Amino acid sequence: MVINILNGLVYGGLLYILAVGLVLIFGLRRVVNFAHGSLFMVGGYVAFAVAAVSNFWLAMVVAIVVLAILGVILDRFVFRPLQHEDPIATVLVTFGLLLVLEDVVKTIWGKDFLSLAAPPLLSGTVSIVGETFPVYRLMVIAVAVLVAVGLSLWLRFSRIGLYVRASSVDPVTTGMQGVDTDRVSAAVVAIGAGLAGLSGTIAAPLMALSPSMGSFILIDSFIVVVVGGLGSFSGAFIAALVIGQVHNFGIVYIPWAASLIPFLLMVAVLIWRPTGLAGGRA
Amino acid sequence: MSASAYAIEGVDMTRRFGGFAALDGVSLAVPHGEIRGLIGPNGAGKSTLMDVLSGRAQTWSGRVMMDGRDISGMGAVERRRAGLARSFQRTNIFPDLTIDEQIRLAAATAERDNSDEVMAELGLADLAHRRAADVSYGDQRRLDLALALVGRPKVLLLDEPAAGLSMQESMVLAGILRDLAGRWGVTVLLVEHDMEVIFSICSRVTVLHLGKILADGTPDEIRRIPEVVTAYLGSSVE
Amino acid sequence: MTDIVAGAPARSGRSGFLAVLVVLGAAGCVLPFVVQSALILTLMTQATINAVLATGVGFLLRQNGTVSFGHAAFFGLSAYATALLVKFGFPAEVAIVMAVVLPTLFALALGVVIVRITGVAFSMLTLAVAQAFHELFLKWRELANGDDGMAIAFPARVFGLDMAIFQQPASMFLVCWVALIAVILGLWLLARSRFGTLTLAIRENEERARYIGYRTVLPRAIIYAISAAVCALGGLLFALYNGFVSPGTLHWSLSGEALIMAIIGGPRLIWGPALGGVIFFFIKNAAGDFTDHWPAVIGVIVILVTVLMPRGVGGVLVWLGRRRNGGRGE
Repeated sequence: MVINILNGLVYGGLLYILAVGLVLIFGLRRVVNFAHGSLFMVGGYVAFAVAAVSNFWLAMVVAIVVLAILGVILDRFVFRPLQHEDPIATVLVTFGLLLVLEDVVKTIWGKDFLSLAAPPLLSGTVSIVGETFPVYRLMVIAVAVLVAVGLSLWLRFSRIGLYVRASSVDPVTTGMQGVDTDRVSAAVVAIGAGLAGLSGTIAAPLMALSPSMGSFILIDSFIVVVVGGLGSFSGAFIAALVIGQVHNFGIVYIPWAASLIPFLLMVAVLIWRPTGLAGGRA
Repeated sequence: MSASAYAIEGVDMTRRFGGFAALDGVSLAVPHGEIRGLIGPNGAGKSTLMDVLSGRAQTWSGRVMMDGRDISGMGAVERRRAGLARSFQRTNIFPDLTIDEQIRLAAATAERDNSDEVMAELGLADLAHRRAADVSYGDQRRLDLALALVGRPKVLLLDEPAAGLSMQESMVLAGILRDLAGRWGVTVLLVEHDMEVIFSICSRVTVLHLGKILADGTPDEIRRIPEVVTAYLGSSVE
Repeated sequence: MTDIVAGAPARSGRSGFLAVLVVLGAAGCVLPFVVQSALILTLMTQATINAVLATGVGFLLRQNGTVSFGHAAFFGLSAYATALLVKFGFPAEVAIVMAVVLPTLFALALGVVIVRITGVAFSMLTLAVAQAFHELFLKWRELANGDDGMAIAFPARVFGLDMAIFQQPASMFLVCWVALIAVILGLWLLARSRFGTLTLAIRENEERARYIGYRTVLPRAIIYAISAAVCALGGLLFALYNGFVSPGTLHWSLSGEALIMAIIGGPRLIWGPALGGVIFFFIKNAAGDFTDHWPAVIGVIVILVTVLMPRGVGGVLVWLGRRRNGGRGE
């Protein structure tokens, strides 16, 4: 039972790290990045490639950096030029990117499942309430918590963080305050993409790498963001916790309906509160 | 015949944002057929009052009644169907529909379709088949007003209908309003910054300041009250 | 620049549109008698089914201004409903009618809830819907055979017609083409009605629509249900023609393709998505012979069309037609 809850925390943690990137990008550029799941996937594959010639830890760092760079490119060439257009345009373009990235990955690495081993340091197990639980999974939970804490501190105490929070509430006025919106956006999108890369890397030893791994988790992270309330970091945290648990219990007890449950949960929450738990804005 | 002497009445209306009371226990009653002006400096609570009366505000306390009937729980749709219409300070029209289409659409929910009359009165008849987005700002303001007027509502809440209009356009608009209100027997509550408009058509004026009523009386009485002058002058010095 | 959704739907002149529709309708009906190649007719039939699906997705975009990544759900649900109802012993006629009715009713119920969600959150929701159903039918093997799909045991005669009509390319093309024309005509009439004007008004300014006395949830939900019904019809045609259904018909990527078809063809027009569906289908078949990188090709096309040609091919055609006519207004 405890193990199930822990596993739920693991998946919730992965979702959170990914969802937070979506919230960051939405808060600043007012668009939903449909390619975010692909960034997750690319992160996993980059880590795989680097780990093949070195070790897991270096792979993780490289994946984060590479994705951050990709994020800057994405912001400069997609989000920035389209920022004054209908948000649907960005949705469609990032959707197109999703298709392209999936194909690129498939071309380079093929569409068979690949696996990335956990680092030896973390490949043991511990005993929790009498059952064994992999250390690696504990690390994943720890990383998610670190990201949450780090993000809160950063949002609260850094200048860029202040800007992000202000922009989430009133982008127009914030933009007029003389801050270089484009540079800040590039930084924030880079962070969001880097987080996607982080999530992809640490997810890799837990799930098989495949070109479609991005699509699955994308949908769940969308559910997290919508349920939590578009634009809300704390909402995403709570929603990720809940969805992680629900997803896991679903898989254990009713596997064939497992993906219906987050969907039903989302519909239920939205009936109750159309702007999500934390009441963001669309 | 009428259940109450007042066409529209708000009792003890309060709306808070955090600790700040945008509207603080305001009571207002407009008798049938009166054109009431509502003035006050920016931040006085005029828009909030309009929002509470028109069903736009979500969290407020107090009561709103139309002809004695409590409409506090009704949303905007129901209030419109009960005969309460409003226009907007920031032009709130349907850009891609033609003027004719949108006015007729608005008329369809009312008991009578006086689209032609309204379009003629407001000088929109020639533009009827133009897209709303393609006409001038002044025409769009009049369209915003027309959407509220069509169907002959019982109560009209007008939020700065002359905003952005030239002096001449404003006076023409004022004349049309006074004329229609008189003919139709509509009760009007008019928020305006343009004092010429207020003083030319309103029979009574209520002054709001910092969420409370500062004064209430005929236009002549109001313009003589020192506090009103101060409140206005004070707020215009930034 | 980009006015895919924000731009006004094209409101065409009455006689022009009807004339073109009649001509195309007639041309299509003549086609099976002129073209002998079964291969081309098969492709045309599949393209037409595609076009129906695209029309449904495009109509939602036009009238409600919302993007659905989940309309494949209604396409697939209809196909599966046909299969399951037949499997459970219902007469084929009942299965065929219910295959369109049931997903539509579901869409109405769902619509009433989710049309309250605006903007991109709505799109994300629709994605989750498609995903949920896809997973359900993939994993619940006892119900629908999972990934292996289900064959549909149609009887020899349906509605008094020989079943072969639906399974031969020449005759089925006629059926699908007529269905497509009928759908386009129906949607066009709806768009021109008072209800159509209302939904456009709600799309442009939902708040003011309420202030002039209209409830705004139900009309949008009805549009959602109608667009779902069109996709369900597509799914039914698919089931009739192929006699087989698999979870791929529910996958969100099918919705994505339908959306792309609508964008390519021009979502502001009622008939734009159908044109896009046909174009897309033929490009796909031509490209499929040349490359395995079909998804990347679609991806690039979507990006290019979104950025450079938001009116779509249909929109460009209309624009050219107007210029030739000396810029006569609508």
